[in-house]
Amino acid sequence: MSRLTYSSNTSNPRLKPLLGDWLVIIISIFAVIFMFQQFWSFEHASQLRIRQGNKIIGTYDLNQTRELHIKGPIGESIIIINQGKVRFKQSPCHNQYCVHQGWLSHAGEVAICLPNQVSLQLLGAKNTYDSLNY
Amino acid sequence: MRLFFIFTLSFLLTACVKPEPLYNTQSYIFGTLVDITIYGEPEPRAQEVSNQIIHDFQDLHNRLHAWRPSELKTLNDEFSRGNSPVTIAPDIAVMLSDATKLSIQSKGAFNPAIGGLIEAWGFHHDEFHSIKIDETKIKNLVHANPQMTDIVIKDGKVSSNNPAVQVDLGGYAKGYALDIALVSLRKQGIKNALVNIGGNIIALGKHGEKPWRVGIQHPRKPSAIATLDLESGWAIGTSGDYQRFFELNGKRYCHIIDPATGYPAQGVQAVTVLIPPQINAGTLSDVTSKPIFIAKPETRAEAAKTMGVEYYLVIESNNKVLVSPAMAKRLTWLDPLTAKNVTSNLQ
Repeated sequence: MSRLTYSSNTSNPRLKPLLGDWLVIIISIFAVIFMFQQFWSFEHASQLRIRQGNKIIGTYDLNQTRELHIKGPIGESIIIINQGKVRFKQSPCHNQYCVHQGWLSHAGEVAICLPNQVSLQLLGAKNTYDSLNY
Repeated sequence: MRLFFIFTLSFLLTACVKPEPLYNTQSYIFGTLVDITIYGEPEPRAQEVSNQIIHDFQDLHNRLHAWRPSELKTLNDEFSRGNSPVTIAPDIAVMLSDATKLSIQSKGAFNPAIGGLIEAWGFHHDEFHSIKIDETKIKNLVHANPQMTDIVIKDGKVSSNNPAVQVDLGGYAKGYALDIALVSLRKQGIKNALVNIGGNIIALGKHGEKPWRVGIQHPRKPSAIATLDLESGWAIGTSGDYQRFFELNGKRYCHIIDPATGYPAQGVQAVTVLIPPQINAGTLSDVTSKPIFIAKPETRAEAAKTMGVEYYLVIESNNKVLVSPAMAKRLTWLDPLTAKNVTSNLQ
C-alpha cells in the first residue's frame, strides 16, 4: 500500500506520504486506542443500573444530565448523572462512604450505600467482570 | 485491510447476541450487600433457589447478630454473667468449634472472642460514629485475654471459663454462609452460580463458556484494580480498611482489630485471598485474610503460610502492591501503572 520503499532517493517527491499512507496511519492510531481500551478494560460505561433493596429502580442512559431521588429505609439518596459519569450527590447516611466514592464512569464500577440500601452499577457493551470483590 | 475491518466488525457485533440466561438478585443481609447470580436456569427456577438462599442467610444473620437479640447475644450475655451453661443449636456448636480451630491455627491473630474490643471501638452499630478512645478499657480488655479456647462445649451446652469472652463471628459468618450456599445450590441441581456476600465470593460452574470473572476493588478508588477468573469451587475474600472505619484527628481506624494490641490494624489498605476448592473454601476466604492483614510486613508471608494461603494480594497504606507468586499468575491488572509497580517477592 505504501510507496515509500520504492525508492531510496531522498529527493524523490513521491516520498511524501500519500492519502493511503495517511489512512493507514490514522486507522492504526484508532486501532491502538481501541485495543488499549479493550485489553486494559478502560471501557466507558453506557448505562447505569440503580437498585434499591432487592428491586431494580431503573436502567438509565449515562449520556445525559439528570438528578434522581431514590427513597430508601433511612431517607432519600440523591444521584446525579452528568454526561457519562454518575455519583451519589447526597445521602441520608451517617458515614457518607457512598458520597465520598465520587464519580463512576467505567463499566463494572459500583457504588453502594449500605444504610439506605441503594446501589449504582455501571454497565457497558462488554462487562469486564461478573461480580466485584471488595 | 479488509481483514482488519472484519476483525473490528466482529468485535462490535459481539454486543448484539441474544440475551443470556442470566439471573441476578441483590439483597441486604449481614449488614452488607448480598448478590446472587445464576446462569443457565429458567428464571422462575433461579428465582426460587435464590430466594431460598436469601432466606437461609437472613435466618443465619438473625441468629448470629452480635448486638441485637439473637442466639449468639444470649450466649454472650450468659458468658459475661458467669458460668451457667447455655443450650445451643448444633450448627452453632459446630461453628464455634470450627472457629476455635482456626483461631488456634492463626496463633490468636484470628480471634472471634474479642467482641468486647470491637464493641469498645464502636463497631457494634449499624451506623457507627467516631468514638473517644478509652485507653484503659482497651488495655483491660486485652489483659483479660478472651480466647475461643476458653469456651467449653459439652452435651449441647456451652459455657466460658473467661467472662471476657464475647463471640463476634463478623469475620467468619459471611464465609460460612458461602459454604452453606454452595451446598444448597448443588443439592438443588444448580450447575452455574456466583454468590457474593459483601465482597466475599464463591463460584460454582461457569458463566456460559467462560469461567466466572471477578473484579478486585481498588481500596481508594471507585474502580477495580484487577480481575481474575474464579473457577468452580474457588472462593475469594478481602479484608479492607475501607469497608467499616472512622477517622479521628486525621487518622483512619478500621474494623479489623489486632487482638494482641486491642487497636485497629494499621499499615494495610487491603488483603485479598484466593482459596482453592475445599469443603470450607468460603469460610477460609473470610477468615484467613485477617491474620495477614494484622501481621507486620516481615511476618506477613509466615502468617499466610500458617493459614495455608498460597494466593494473596496486599495493598499497603503507601499504595505499594505486593502479590504472592501464585497470585501474580492469576491476576489481570486493569491499570498498566499498577502492573508496573507490583512487587512479587512475597514468600
